[in-house]
Amino acid sequence: MDTVKNVLNIGLLTVLTLAAALATACLTVSEAGVPDIEQRATALNKSIMCPVCPGESIDQSQNSLSIQMRSIVRDKLGEGWTDRQIKDFLVERYGPSVLMEPPTSGFNLAAWVVPPVAFALAVVALLLTLKWMRMSAEAERQAEEETARDRGDYVSRIEDALNSDDSDEATSERRADGLSGGNPQQ
Amino acid sequence: MIVEAGQIALVLALMASVYAAAASIIGVSRRSSELLVSGRYALYSVLPLLLVATAALVYAFVTNDFSVKYVAENSNLAMPQAYTWVAFYAGNSGSMLYIAIVFSLMAVIAVAGIRKALPYTSPYATGIMALVLAFLLGVMVFLANPLARLAIVPPDGQGINPLLVHFGMFIHPPLQMAGLVSVAIPFSIAIGALLANRGGNDEWVDQGRLWGMVSWVILTVGLMLGSWWAYTILGWGGYWAWDPVENSALMPWLAMTAFVHSIMVQKRRGMFRMWNMIIIIIGFTMAQMGMFINRGGPVPSVHSFAQSTMGWVFLAFMIVTLVGAVAVFIWKSDTLRSRGQLESALSRESVFLAQNVLFLTVAFVTLWGTIFPIFSEAANDTVVTVGQPFFNRVNGPVLLLIVLMMGLGPLLPWRRATVSHALRLVRVPLAGGLLTGVVLLAIGITRPVALIAFMTCGLVVTGILYEWVRGTLARHRGGEEYPVAFMRLLSANRPRYGGYIVHLAIIMLAAGAIASSFYSVQRDFAMTTGDSATVGDYSFTFIGTRHATFADRQEDYARFEVFKGDSYLGIMEALRAEYPAFRIASTQGAIHSTPIEDFYIVPSEFDREGPAIFRVLINPMVWWMWASGPIIVLGTLFALSPRRRLAPAVVPSRAGTVRA
Repeated sequence: MDTVKNVLNIGLLTVLTLAAALATACLTVSEAGVPDIEQRATALNKSIMCPVCPGESIDQSQNSLSIQMRSIVRDKLGEGWTDRQIKDFLVERYGPSVLMEPPTSGFNLAAWVVPPVAFALAVVALLLTLKWMRMSAEAERQAEEETARDRGDYVSRIEDALNSDDSDEATSERRADGLSGGNPQQ
Repeated sequence: MIVEAGQIALVLALMASVYAAAASIIGVSRRSSELLVSGRYALYSVLPLLLVATAALVYAFVTNDFSVKYVAENSNLAMPQAYTWVAFYAGNSGSMLYIAIVFSLMAVIAVAGIRKALPYTSPYATGIMALVLAFLLGVMVFLANPLARLAIVPPDGQGINPLLVHFGMFIHPPLQMAGLVSVAIPFSIAIGALLANRGGNDEWVDQGRLWGMVSWVILTVGLMLGSWWAYTILGWGGYWAWDPVENSALMPWLAMTAFVHSIMVQKRRGMFRMWNMIIIIIGFTMAQMGMFINRGGPVPSVHSFAQSTMGWVFLAFMIVTLVGAVAVFIWKSDTLRSRGQLESALSRESVFLAQNVLFLTVAFVTLWGTIFPIFSEAANDTVVTVGQPFFNRVNGPVLLLIVLMMGLGPLLPWRRATVSHALRLVRVPLAGGLLTGVVLLAIGITRPVALIAFMTCGLVVTGILYEWVRGTLARHRGGEEYPVAFMRLLSANRPRYGGYIVHLAIIMLAAGAIASSFYSVQRDFAMTTGDSATVGDYSFTFIGTRHATFADRQEDYARFEVFKGDSYLGIMEALRAEYPAFRIASTQGAIHSTPIEDFYIVPSEFDREGPAIFRVLINPMVWWMWASGPIIVLGTLFALSPRRRLAPAVVPSRAGTVRA
């Protein structure tokens, strides 16, 4: 029985190691004590695009403009501006493309609407497909069962006819038919 | 002379691939085996010809032959000798040559493999592969010849983007390009089978699955190395940014992930014949989309290394192959009737279908976000950005749902399960997920989204390990020792258990991604030499700088003495390099990595005078993401390793055991 425990233990150990790593990691980190304003600055920097370096946020980029924009964000936060105000300020300066997310108004709302709609449509299509596949499978099975039942009627009529003269051939025919009708997969 | 030999070889290779395509197509319609054989050998001959062309280009690089235009544009005297051997795929036309030679190598192996196994499909597949090769070579010969000469020979070359002069360049871009082009192989086999009227019997499935998985694993490793490169070399503390080019490499990966799953349903149950064709067509289209976006596509990206005006040629070819493949599909769709039937929505095949649909949804939404700026600009003339926050928000929940299905799907049996049976199967994994939640709550992980995500991971891991334990115990009761029982369990059904190994690795990846995106800590410090600071448990002192001068760059290292609690972690050096010729600076983080967390220092404003600003990050569990890479590869190889033919799925039914 010790070995049974060993096998179970290995499994349990793996889960626990992962969980423990997770736990330690998240614990140390949540105690890191980064000031609130810096956390907000980081979050904001990550949502603002560097206007001159394609595809990079100002948080990511080492470009001098990004460095300047990071200090703008820091300063404005220090002056008590809200995230919204800072974003509006930057949009006024650099245009709407400075935000990493498309605005939720006008044509750009489409960017946000299409993904959930696509997901909903995909789920509906999936359910309909599954239903349709099952129905066609069901229809086919019913058709097969009907054939089997018809054949059953036919066989029993033969049996009735044969029972009257009680021969051995009737039994063998019945057995053969019963076997060939039994497999719906063929 | 050698360069001219390469040019001639390139033209001959183009002629050979055009001939291979023509001979295969004409040969099959005239039933001429001579033509088919000659077409096949023409395809084989492309590989040695391209080897000559590649050798010529590498020779031009190594000897600094700046009379070759491409060499002059992508190399210079300052380039380290070792890099001149591999620099040929750093630019546009050279990377085309690289793609062509990799594809011709794969095509030769694939054709040699299917020639006997799929005699009817083989000529068509050969023809399609030859057409793809002819396209690549045609572009090179007529539009972007890597071996073209310059009229006036410059004394020195321009050199390449310094970000590419790095060890990472040896592996990430070539693997990524190889992965994208490799999707053409399973595509050719599938469409070849369709053209040969063989789509409706499942003989192409083994070869299609083999090449689909080869392609999948190359794409996976390419993506992971790209992330790893971004994290360790490009030095901004992150590993994935939903950049257009990253997205365009992710989309074919998503489609191929769907394909390697649904092809199993066709293998085991003879179902999804049409669906698999559709998915491989989508996969190939998305792979070409990836090449298009990378080569002068319409959206700005950090990856614009191989920029050119040739993107539109790729777009045109993509549209041609898409229209052609769809036409063939419609023409031959009546040959694709399923043999098996869906018996219940509560079965493994229906979960596979659901998984496929979700993967394609993520791929579609990613595509939508990637190209949305074009629509927006066309519609109201304002340029908008669709970046990381958008993708995290719209794709995050669906990806989590996919992880959940990864836990539940494989537990369900083929064909059908009753509700009570299914409930019994998911009981233990559900308990595992809940237990994970309770443990994490108890230790103070309270962010709801992170908690749900971790619980999902716990559920999947429990499900897989539970099944391994149960299987091993069952075999043990049959009289096998535990280690033997476990090994035999795994190798009795390699596709299944290889898949489980990959799933476990994906959970490692997911756990790392979740932990680091929800619990990463980032802080900037302005420091002069001698300053100390603390983040979390870590305290570090900026002890000085080190400077090194190279022909092409200035390197400045910032040196830190780092402690975690009371234990000394050693000296860490973060690098900032400046390339005056390119006016580019690059940074490289100093990373102390453990399974629990990475301590990461990267210079953000750092020159020799004045205080420097350093960015310090504590990224939890990133280690697990990189560790998952080798496991994914091993799991895939295990799933592909041949043992014996799998019997079709067997379930007990009313009429006793029925074989499908």
